Amino acid sequence: MSAPVSLRGVSQAFAGSRGGRLALDGIDLEVAAGEFVCVVGPSGCGKSTMLDLVAGHTRPARGDVTVAGAGVRGPGPDRVMVFQEHALFPWLSVSDNVGFGLKNAGVPPEERDATVATWLRKVGLADAADLHPHQLSGGMRQRAALARAFAMRPRVLLMDEPFSALDAPSRDRLHVELQELWAETGITIVFVTHNVREAVALGDRVIVLSSGPGRIIGDVPVTLHRPRVVESERVVTLSATVRRLLDAADQLGISAPREGGDSYVNI
Amino acid sequence: MSTSSVPTRDGTSIKVRSDAPWWRRTTPIVGTGLVLLAAWALASVLSEALPTPVATASELVRMAGDGDLASIFGRITLFMTGCFIVAAIGGVSLGLLLGSRTWLDRGLSPYLAALQGMPTSMWIPVAAVVLGTSPWSLAAVVSIGAMPAIMLATRSAVKNVPPLLIRAGRTFGADQGSLLRHVVLPAALPGIMTGLELGWSIAFRCLVAGEIFSGALSGTGIGDVIERSRETGDLTEMMATILIVLAFTLAVDRLVFARVQHRLRVSRGLVDSGLPH
Repeated sequence: MSAPVSLRGVSQAFAGSRGGRLALDGIDLEVAAGEFVCVVGPSGCGKSTMLDLVAGHTRPARGDVTVAGAGVRGPGPDRVMVFQEHALFPWLSVSDNVGFGLKNAGVPPEERDATVATWLRKVGLADAADLHPHQLSGGMRQRAALARAFAMRPRVLLMDEPFSALDAPSRDRLHVELQELWAETGITIVFVTHNVREAVALGDRVIVLSSGPGRIIGDVPVTLHRPRVVESERVVTLSATVRRLLDAADQLGISAPREGGDSYVNI
Repeated sequence: MSTSSVPTRDGTSIKVRSDAPWWRRTTPIVGTGLVLLAAWALASVLSEALPTPVATASELVRMAGDGDLASIFGRITLFMTGCFIVAAIGGVSLGLLLGSRTWLDRGLSPYLAALQGMPTSMWIPVAAVVLGTSPWSLAAVVSIGAMPAIMLATRSAVKNVPPLLIRAGRTFGADQGSLLRHVVLPAALPGIMTGLELGWSIAFRCLVAGEIFSGALSGTGIGDVIERSRETGDLTEMMATILIVLAFTLAVDRLVFARVQHRLRVSRGLVDSGLPH
């Protein structure tokens, strides 16, 4: 069976204020079915662009992006994205938000209601079904966004720094919950973050990107026992290894994230 | 408005209400009305030609008695509602189209902006000659005249929809049609409402301009009143009619626009009623 997500020789460039800018340069990545892959790199390294390519929001300038063997031609319900900002529709209640994609997919109302109720219960928002997003706390909003994504039963879940705007306790709790949901559904996840410890805590593999242009400079397998938390000693130790990869790339002049600088990676 | 009690640990309860009590909402409106009335009374003492509030009130009573009041009110409602529904449906749908089709926007928006900038009432003589002096002719000018403002406001509101919401809509399987209906339209609704209010006031101005141009054009009777006041020089009936129109616009604003705006703000979390957490 072909890999759920495959990027071959993918390059992408954008028009900028000072001419064009290469965002991704020759990315080769295969993600296996049911795998939880984290992509980590300094800000501006093109990791969000990678997700956009898989989601079908943009097309690569060069190379191929395929999902389950088929080339990506545009957004599709088999590849659902969770954004850094919850991106819930402010005029809809939480349950209508969760049911939005199901409605578009033509799921009949009774089945839709049942699915929505199930996922709201799983993320602990059963009592908040009738509230609007602005009535929720930041953590609850991101839970609703998770429920909306999982309810679609996508082949691939694309997560673009979904927890980086949350307070630490909410984030830690969601780390554990996400690992549980992933184990339960067996979904393939590509999770982008600038936080090395988060990547190590969540991923089966951590793909390390350099910045300007984004190139893969490391592919670190993580075999630690789950569920993992960011404070655990082993996660911290492995994070330091990943951090060294980024620093080595820095030494070689591949990327230029300096400590305290704009694109510095915190661990 | 709803009041409810929340029990606390020591057995007492805290009363919470979701809205201000009615008297607190209506007192400012009534208070301002009284101040304006006093100013009017003062002005009518200073100026001979201006009818006093008392004279106007008795004129209103007379108009109410012989059915003129209800007739003018009803005919304004009918004419304006009809014209405005046409303008709103046409303006919003064309505005949505403009906002989502770049080539259409490039081609049309400059002309629409020019049309919006010029007074719509300039078309009335043209319409009167081409379409005749029937209510339909003025209705056409009023509804088409209000459209550019509604179209341009809708277009801007569509352009101001956060791209993140569009992406979210697309990622959750919305095709062109449902993206427009279920994401773009609700997201742009506050901006569209502003355009509708603007279109409403343009439509009303245009109606009165038509009446001044040639009496009884809209069939609302405002023109007849203007005609009579012009002949006799007595402004009492005119003042009474102005009050009827004022009451009409006030009612529309309070009962339609203000309510819709409030609901839009509440559902989008733009009313700070104390944070829920």
